[in-house]
Amino acid sequence: MNRSVWKTINGIFMRCVAALMILPLFLMLLTSMKPEAEVLNPENVVPRVWTLSNYQQILGWAEEAPFGRWFSNSVFISSAVTLGVIVFSAMGAFAIKRLRVPGGRQFLGLIIGSMMVPGQLFLVPLYLILSKLHWLDTPAALIVPATAGGFGIYMLSQFMEDMPPAIEEAALIDGCSPAQMFLHQTLPLCAPAISTLAVFTFIGSWNDFMGPLVFMDSVRNYTLPVGIALYQTSYYTEYGLTLATSVLAVTPLLVIFALFQRQIVSSMAASGLKD
Amino acid sequence: MQRTGFLFLAPYAVSFAIFVILPIVVSFVLSFMRFDLTAQSSAGFVGFDNYREALQDNYFWSAVKATLLFALMIVPGLLVIGLSMALGMNAMARGQAAVRALVFLPGMLNIAVTGILWQWFFNGEFGLFNFALKHFGGQGQPWLSDKAFAMPSIVLMSVWWTVGGTAIILLTALQQIPGMYFEAAALDGASTTRMFRYITLPLLKPVMSFVVVTTSIAGFQMFGQAFMLTRGGPELSTRGVAQYIYETAFNSYRMGYGAAMSWLLFALISVFGIFQIRMMRRPA
Repeated sequence: MNRSVWKTINGIFMRCVAALMILPLFLMLLTSMKPEAEVLNPENVVPRVWTLSNYQQILGWAEEAPFGRWFSNSVFISSAVTLGVIVFSAMGAFAIKRLRVPGGRQFLGLIIGSMMVPGQLFLVPLYLILSKLHWLDTPAALIVPATAGGFGIYMLSQFMEDMPPAIEEAALIDGCSPAQMFLHQTLPLCAPAISTLAVFTFIGSWNDFMGPLVFMDSVRNYTLPVGIALYQTSYYTEYGLTLATSVLAVTPLLVIFALFQRQIVSSMAASGLKD
Repeated sequence: MQRTGFLFLAPYAVSFAIFVILPIVVSFVLSFMRFDLTAQSSAGFVGFDNYREALQDNYFWSAVKATLLFALMIVPGLLVIGLSMALGMNAMARGQAAVRALVFLPGMLNIAVTGILWQWFFNGEFGLFNFALKHFGGQGQPWLSDKAFAMPSIVLMSVWWTVGGTAIILLTALQQIPGMYFEAAALDGASTTRMFRYITLPLLKPVMSFVVVTTSIAGFQMFGQAFMLTRGGPELSTRGVAQYIYETAFNSYRMGYGAAMSWLLFALISVFGIFQIRMMRRPA
């Protein structure tokens, strides 16, 4: 009896903790629908006057804060990065684990080693390399270097290693070329791993802050996070507006989270098990 | 077959060579050069001058101090709060999956949104925290403008932002502990606290060391949080090494000096990483 009472209390308490964790998001949503005067005097959590004027104002900006443009930049860049990472990583992992190219293991070791290097170290040299390529201030600066990330090829290699070699042998006997094997066999079998990789890559790219901050120069080429962050500096006390931009910026991610919640949480859970 | 193999590897390998290996090499060479994008003076090798300058640069040391302070607060914060949340979730009979997802949700936000949100909470005049404090008869606090408050405020936001991930990793490890250990201990009449001390904690140690190492590596690279909330202030007290590198390279355009400091940051992270792994390997 003592124990079940304690369990109930714990259950209630943990639900409160969860509510507290997402409370800031609700405050953000509710406040973004208040007129500015109410924002500065937040006596009521729920708006007394509901308004979409903040949103209308944001979407109306053209010059100084082209919100729609930032949004489409982010969608385009994150999608391209996701596609590039999946194609390059899947082909690379296939070559290393299924076609067993000589030196593949060592190359994988080098990739994992390079993942230990902190991101800051790449900023200065990447800036110079991208400027030599004349890619600064273009989407290519954020898309192409991202395909060199080690996480995708490492993860897919792990996954492909666990696939039985008999699969290939059968395919070879049937006269499959490596390309056919890759397209019709390995890729479909890796679908679960690839979709997890896609979700994580998309989120990571969408949320990238330092890359666009350093490599993008013109306001209209910013991605959403950098756009709203720099915009916030000039309008920082107009919380109704900045919170409305935030709501718009997180909505796509919340949709992704709602769709792939199980996958995202369980990959997070698994990340500690490798050790 | 092998030629095809190399063809499959080629796209990634080329990208890796240009955007991972080449930058590491360039950064290393740059760290021994004067390479200012603004100055008329020509670029050239200066030996260890950049490293020497960093070690004598008060701004660098104050950035190191801020970085260490942040890591020293965030790592135990995430570990203790994350473990408490994990224990709480582990004891839930129902609704665990939903709580797990909600607790993780803040980690999905990017730092710009997180920063905008918390800047509003922390604002001295119009902020939600001070409004609540005054409403209940307390006094408003200078959350971001006072040296004593600024870093803890940044840490508070960072805990909210990332603790869900830590909690989920620890929860998964808790669920891996075979239930019979606790049953056997219960038969022997062990109390809950003793079971926690002698079964749960020792078995969680590998995962906790994973959490400590990964969170401190991330902590040492702290940039966005301070950039959004304080821009490194007040009086540069929250400007970490990463932000100083960013400002050196992209506001002062001193690429060589920025590169040298990024190698020093890497060294700092490696030393702490190795030290922590050694400590954790020692028997309890």
